[in-house]
Amino acid sequence: MAKEIINNIKLGVFVLASLFIIILLLYMIGRNRNLFGSNYILKATFENIQGLKAGNNVRFAGIDVGTVKKIEIKNDTLIEVIMIIDKKVKNIIRKNAIVSIGTDGLVGNKVVNIIAVKKEGEIAKSGDFLPTKRPIDTDDMIKILQKTNTDASVVAENLKYTTTQINQSNIVWSILRDTLLYKSLQKSIMNIHLITENANETVADIKKIITNVKNGKGTLGSIVSDTTIASNLNKAIDQIHSVGKTTDTLIHNINKISLEINSKIENGNNIIQSLLQDSMIPIRFNNSLKNIESASNGLNQNMEALKHNFLFRTYFKKIEKRKSTEDKNK
Amino acid sequence: MAQAIIIKRFLDELGDMSRFSSRFFIEWFKPRYEIAEFFKQCYIIGYKSLPLIGLTGFIMGLVLTMQLRPSMVDYGVESQLPAIVGIAIVREIGPVITALIFAGKIGSSIGAELGSMKVTEQIDAMEVSGTNPYKYLVVSRVLATTFMLPVLAILSDGISLYGSYLGVNIKGETSSLLFWTQVTNSLEFYDVLPAFIKTYFFGFAVGMIGCYKGYNSSKGTEGVGHSANSAVVVSSVTIFILDLLAVQVTDLLGFN
Amino acid sequence: MISELQKIIKDNETIMSISNLYKSFGSNNVLTNFSLDLIKGENTIVLGKSGSGKSVLIKCIIGLLKPDSGNIEVYNKNIPDLNGAELDKIRAKVGFLFQSNALYDSMTVKENLEFPLRRHWLKVTQKEVNKMVEEALEDVGLLHTQEMMPAELSGGMRKRIALARTLILKPEIILYDEPTTGLDPITGKEIINLMNEIKIKYNTTGLIISHDMNCVRLAGDRIIILLEGKCYASGKYEELKTSENPKIKQFFN
Repeated sequence: MAKEIINNIKLGVFVLASLFIIILLLYMIGRNRNLFGSNYILKATFENIQGLKAGNNVRFAGIDVGTVKKIEIKNDTLIEVIMIIDKKVKNIIRKNAIVSIGTDGLVGNKVVNIIAVKKEGEIAKSGDFLPTKRPIDTDDMIKILQKTNTDASVVAENLKYTTTQINQSNIVWSILRDTLLYKSLQKSIMNIHLITENANETVADIKKIITNVKNGKGTLGSIVSDTTIASNLNKAIDQIHSVGKTTDTLIHNINKISLEINSKIENGNNIIQSLLQDSMIPIRFNNSLKNIESASNGLNQNMEALKHNFLFRTYFKKIEKRKSTEDKNK
Repeated sequence: MAQAIIIKRFLDELGDMSRFSSRFFIEWFKPRYEIAEFFKQCYIIGYKSLPLIGLTGFIMGLVLTMQLRPSMVDYGVESQLPAIVGIAIVREIGPVITALIFAGKIGSSIGAELGSMKVTEQIDAMEVSGTNPYKYLVVSRVLATTFMLPVLAILSDGISLYGSYLGVNIKGETSSLLFWTQVTNSLEFYDVLPAFIKTYFFGFAVGMIGCYKGYNSSKGTEGVGHSANSAVVVSSVTIFILDLLAVQVTDLLGFN
Repeated sequence: MISELQKIIKDNETIMSISNLYKSFGSNNVLTNFSLDLIKGENTIVLGKSGSGKSVLIKCIIGLLKPDSGNIEVYNKNIPDLNGAELDKIRAKVGFLFQSNALYDSMTVKENLEFPLRRHWLKVTQKEVNKMVEEALEDVGLLHTQEMMPAELSGGMRKRIALARTLILKPEIILYDEPTTGLDPITGKEIINLMNEIKIKYNTTGLIISHDMNCVRLAGDRIIILLEGKCYASGKYEELKTSENPKIKQFFN
């Protein structure tokens, strides 16, 4: 009889132990999902939530402060995101803080970022709507970058063809009278210089990042798990490379031309008559230059956007820091 | 011709087993309730299996972690090791390995025990002694396996995760808090609950098949051995089939 | 529940009446039109070849098997018609000694003996139970084995413990299923003596299934020969032994 009681006590301890483990496990999971404890609600509206789901984390200044509770479609261009926020930050988040949707890592889960602005503002109350910022879509960015690169290489190809033609025929010199053209040519060259510099720098940076990633450093480790993104990036880098190369030869050619033009102008040689025979060339040349300008502008914009992208942000910041310290040292 | 006989025998046994199982659902509602016997069986089936299940769970967690580490390092996601191992253990390995070990230990012992009771007329003796042997032997055991396997599976999960924690710390360094946070962060309710619920079915299957094989044991010591053996084989296969069904049902319900 | 069964049946009156019993397994007709009356205070032996349906007969009596047709009347009740609870009432008064003893391997001797007590009568104190267990073990001369496991006992001892377990409910009828099978002749005789002692001490009625001639000779007041599913012959040992019928004679050679 006594033995039976002892056995039953052992059994009870055994069952309680397992009950304890499962409750602990469920509690921990629940706590991560903010199912327990005190919290309040904030809302934000977006045009596009990019696959944000209920249960995704909400971060304030990079700290997990809550989760997305619900996503409601209000109308065709308005989607309301309702977030549960921990009460601990109730006196910290202000009404003018900006809400955006980002990604945890390059391919991770979507997260909602709440970023404070450096301005006075009311403390946000439960149920308040916070202003939003259109999120940077990495996919879009990479797509644009790729398109620009293809455009640039087409333009460069055209330019190469044109320059060869110009070199071969002596009829170009009629253009030389056009000082406007000369200026724009110079501007183009400047731009191309800038692009290549930027491109080179970016390529180097990306290379460095990739090596970092390969070594598994930093949060970028997760980049590896998505091979398509990686190959996209590689492709983009390759194209930036080829653009750089073509622009190099192009610049070389243009340099040569401008040198010749300069000397020709100084010498005052007039062999331009025959040039007028082909009226198409100047027009094509103009078009090319315009294309180059717009392409380089686009590329510059992309580079700028890339700089601001969270992936590379820290890296560019580091470079700036280094530059400023170098300046100081000087 | 031989095939037809095999199929016929299989269907015959399946039908017999279904009838035997359906009797369980009729009998366990009705008094008299064999509560003392139920607790006794819980003690024998549950508590006494803990050392074995704990040991296998611990080794499983440790080995799984150490085996996964090289690939995780290759992909540069070594830091995700606790998350991956946590999901693997809680969702699949914990419940299924526990159920298989349980089938090996408990299924065979129930099959052999009831088989020898049948052969030596102890089951008849019980009936003559004013006891419903189905209730006294089968219902109490099946209920005990049904309720004890989930308990064992949870404890095994816990011990496996501890083993995995040690495995992570053999070559790296992760604090227990970080490990625990990473594991629970990677888990959802929908990972834990279906895995938990399916262990009830596993437990029921192990108990029921063990009892069926024992209760219908043929005469002689050979029959007892055969009952024990086929109890393990059939319940192990059934566990896998149930696991397949469970994953499809959870998938269908959108819990994956 | 006992009291309602406690109808006084005088000696030499019929206590159990089996009539027109049929039982078959598939195409194998084991019992065909079997009839038998048990007289109170008498040990009746059913003699028959292996597989002649002796075990089937007593399993029908105790309600483990259901006969295809026929009546088994005990205490004015027909066993095949009874449901579980009613059957249990009869079983408290009709003991059954199994051929293989059927002692519960997982229980001690004492727990084995307690088992039917706790099962049949819910209201007994531990003290009463202890007393009854001791009494029953004393009857079979194995009082010292209380805390032993069945596996530790010899074959003869196990048979006695099984008998003690049957006796603990103080049955009026005891069904013995081959009580001496598997025992050496000396132990077998001891068991037969025990059976006779019990018959005298508790005034029980016995139905003994056997093919052991020692048992038949020593324990039987009346002998029934079960042949071809019927009660082929009945009478005293001496009467049957001198029978000229070759079918009867074969048992006595």
